[in-house]
Amino acid sequence: MAGSQNPPSSPTQSCSKKTLLVTEPPKFDLESYIQNYQGRTRLERLLHIGVCSTFLGVDALKLAVKEAKRGKDTKRYIQAQGHLQTIGPSEPEARRDQGWIEATDKKNQAETNRLQTELNGYKHNLIKESIRMGNEDLGKQYQAMGDLPKASEAFSRMRQDISVSKHIVDVSRHLIEVATEQRNWITVTSNVQKIRGILSSADEDKSIIPYLQAAEALACFDNGEYGTAANLFLGIDTGLGSTAATIISPNDVAIYGGLCALATMDRNELQKKVLENSSFRTYLELEPQIRRAIAFFVNSRYTACLSVLETYRADYLLDIYLQKHIEDLYHMVRSKSIVQYFIPFSCVTLDSMNQAFAAPGKTIDKELAMMIQNQELNARINTIDKLLEAVPSNPRTELQRGALQITDDYAREARRRIMHMNVSMGELEVKGKRGHNMGLSDDLFGETVGRELRSRGGGSAMLS
Amino acid sequence: MDDLLPKLLSFPQHPPPTTPLTDTQYDESIRAQITAVKSIPDSKLLTHTSSGESVLEFINPAINTVPYTFTLLATITALQKGSKNVKGDNLWGNMTGFLATFDPRQIRYLGSELSTIIETVVEFARRRGEPGAAVAPVSNALLRYDPTGGMLTSKHLVLVRVALSSRQLANALPTLDKPILYFPTPQKPSKSTLLCNMSNSPNVYITSDESGFSRKLKYWEVLEYFLYRGMIYMGTRNWKKSHQSLEDAFTFPTKDGVVSKIQIDAYKKWVLVGLLLEGKILGLPKVTGSGPAKAFHVIAKPYEAVAQIFESGTATRLKAEVDAGNGIWQNDCNMGLILHVLAAYQKNQIRNLASIYAKMSIQEVHTSTQSAETGARLPNVQATETLVRSMIVDGSLRATLSAPPNLVLSFSLVGQVLSEPQFQRELAASTTQIKALTDEIKHTDHMLTHEKEYIKWLQKQKKSGKNPVDLGVGMDMDWNGEDEDLMAGAY
Repeated sequence: MAGSQNPPSSPTQSCSKKTLLVTEPPKFDLESYIQNYQGRTRLERLLHIGVCSTFLGVDALKLAVKEAKRGKDTKRYIQAQGHLQTIGPSEPEARRDQGWIEATDKKNQAETNRLQTELNGYKHNLIKESIRMGNEDLGKQYQAMGDLPKASEAFSRMRQDISVSKHIVDVSRHLIEVATEQRNWITVTSNVQKIRGILSSADEDKSIIPYLQAAEALACFDNGEYGTAANLFLGIDTGLGSTAATIISPNDVAIYGGLCALATMDRNELQKKVLENSSFRTYLELEPQIRRAIAFFVNSRYTACLSVLETYRADYLLDIYLQKHIEDLYHMVRSKSIVQYFIPFSCVTLDSMNQAFAAPGKTIDKELAMMIQNQELNARINTIDKLLEAVPSNPRTELQRGALQITDDYAREARRRIMHMNVSMGELEVKGKRGHNMGLSDDLFGETVGRELRSRGGGSAMLS
Repeated sequence: MDDLLPKLLSFPQHPPPTTPLTDTQYDESIRAQITAVKSIPDSKLLTHTSSGESVLEFINPAINTVPYTFTLLATITALQKGSKNVKGDNLWGNMTGFLATFDPRQIRYLGSELSTIIETVVEFARRRGEPGAAVAPVSNALLRYDPTGGMLTSKHLVLVRVALSSRQLANALPTLDKPILYFPTPQKPSKSTLLCNMSNSPNVYITSDESGFSRKLKYWEVLEYFLYRGMIYMGTRNWKKSHQSLEDAFTFPTKDGVVSKIQIDAYKKWVLVGLLLEGKILGLPKVTGSGPAKAFHVIAKPYEAVAQIFESGTATRLKAEVDAGNGIWQNDCNMGLILHVLAAYQKNQIRNLASIYAKMSIQEVHTSTQSAETGARLPNVQATETLVRSMIVDGSLRATLSAPPNLVLSFSLVGQVLSEPQFQRELAASTTQIKALTDEIKHTDHMLTHEKEYIKWLQKQKKSGKNPVDLGVGMDMDWNGEDEDLMAGAY
């Protein structure tokens, strides 16, 4: 524990290099926000807000310190307290409670040792059920202490002594929780599948389904597969409630799902799969602004949609998962809006585009040029008359060109194959070194080329 | 001499018989005549007629190709021996005249003789210090001998070498434009196939045996032909054909993943020509073997780097990259191409603007593009204007420029639009092309199924009691007529 005695002198500074600071006041209430969660994610979220938000920072860190003191994770406590010391040194919680740290560390050590000894005892006696529970207790202890790799190890060991299918569910749930905190999404999805595999149709099993769906959707989302994530979020059954509170809240489901859908689906899909989706509606009701944004988009009021999203940007930046993705998602929504906005017109003035999409005093010419180049937008810019013009499509010419191209390609390919067949009939292929009556000494894959290839090949292999 | 003339002119009959000879009769008569003419000693062929004309002046090579050929050969041999009695003043005229007019049916019996004459023409031109003069006659003769142009012969190689070294590129093009399908084989045609059958494909009468027209080619000669052909097209700025020819070289089949250095050279040039043609790096054709493909990527890395920057980098970077690799380009003799690539960079940038903008001022073109030759913008707007104008004129940029003073460049949104008759013509052309190909495919199929080894294999299969499975030959060659009918019916 030597490391934990010396926290970095200015943790906020080292953090702010990576994480951006959110200076705008968020719209949510910290107390009620954190009410939605249980377990270690509360502390994680509070810390995140404390580090990122200038507005809620102190409050969040104060809560985090309190939260940490209720638990066993001294490293997290030192982290939270260290941040608080930097931004709010006058707060009573900013003082380090060295006594508590030492006591807790000592207690943790003793408890771990005790559990370990007990487990060894069970193993000695070969009582399967007790070994399983011993491992579970040990895993829980490690998890609470913040030693996630060991926790994951201990939980995995439970698997050897499983006797009923309920145990499989338990193991996998533990693993999902630890892996989620580690952002180890592969483990999350594989454990979701494991539980799915053994679920029966019994009622008690049903209650776990939304939890599984949410975990899987979250894994997909954090991997950046927004399209798949959107469909998974939208497919979550009602009744998530607080069953997944250690990972994700129903509000998060609405926000993540809504944003992913907004970023990847077209207007018809949004209408059908999101707004008319009865199970997802219960979630959307929790976050009416997402519903509003989607409705605006469906009704082609893109400016309104974007401005709704913009007002909530600060909130979303304070979310532990969304922060990383929000720029991408917003960009996708924005590009889509521009494309959709332009569809009904054959030409639009750049001024009206600016009005609809650009920040005041700025132009979106560059963005448009970029989108056209990336082939997201099928249009051309007219900088003389300040217009964005649609490209007239001419299927007839395209077809003609295509037809001629195909015959040309076919003829070329067929000729090449005829030639190659005649090559092999005449045994004219390029051959290896054996031939000795070479007219050209340097022709074959001779020494120089061979050496060059070998040396460069080795180099590139190392690079890749 | 006069007594010999009837013998020399005995074939073909004059005036032509009312019922044309059958192929068999034709074959017999011409073979008889060749034996007869061959039996006449050279000295006799060189004597003059009573009216003082030499045989070469007297005989028309277009009609009496056989005696003309042998007399010409006799003259050449005599001159080479330094004989005083023979006048060689008109030899060049005689030879080129012969190459331009020989009878394409009779000449099929005279492969090695034609080969000697072509070589003499090349040698003659070289001695006179103007090797380029041989390009046109040889090219024409090759096409006259094999109108399909599908057979690669050793004379093709002579042609590309002479054309490249003498820079007489344009005259060689008619021959080079023909796609290569066949290579000479040493097999003598079977007795039943008659050389004089005009519907025979060239590999019946062009062979590489001792009396044949061509030598047997080695693979590097084939590769060399493709490489040189690509370089000749480069010289004529025909980037598309150059690209295809180089592609033929490096996609050439190889055994056990080995690569020829010629193929690597071809690949390097292919990358650069691809930039000039399409402005981007093009994927390797599917037929490229995986072994060669790997070798290409490793050895031609500097070229691929240039291509990458050309496609998406800045002018400054491109220039820096090219400068850094100066030694490489010079060693590979690709400096000229590289300079072309540098010059093409800005043009490509301007063309790319057309995919983003509909209209823009010359000023904007000026500020948004850079020359890779200097790594900076052009010195002034006028220079940009000149560049844009030149591109519009040579057809590489589909746009219009409004009149001064406010120069506005409007890009044309739709590509080239073909008129209905134009399109019909193009379609008809491709239909004939593909129909012709179908014949070639059938022919190759036939040759393959009559291959010794295939037949052996079939016998083995039969012996072992298995039903011979029709493996199809390489690919599905059955171009079924239905497709064509559909196309024909639509118009």
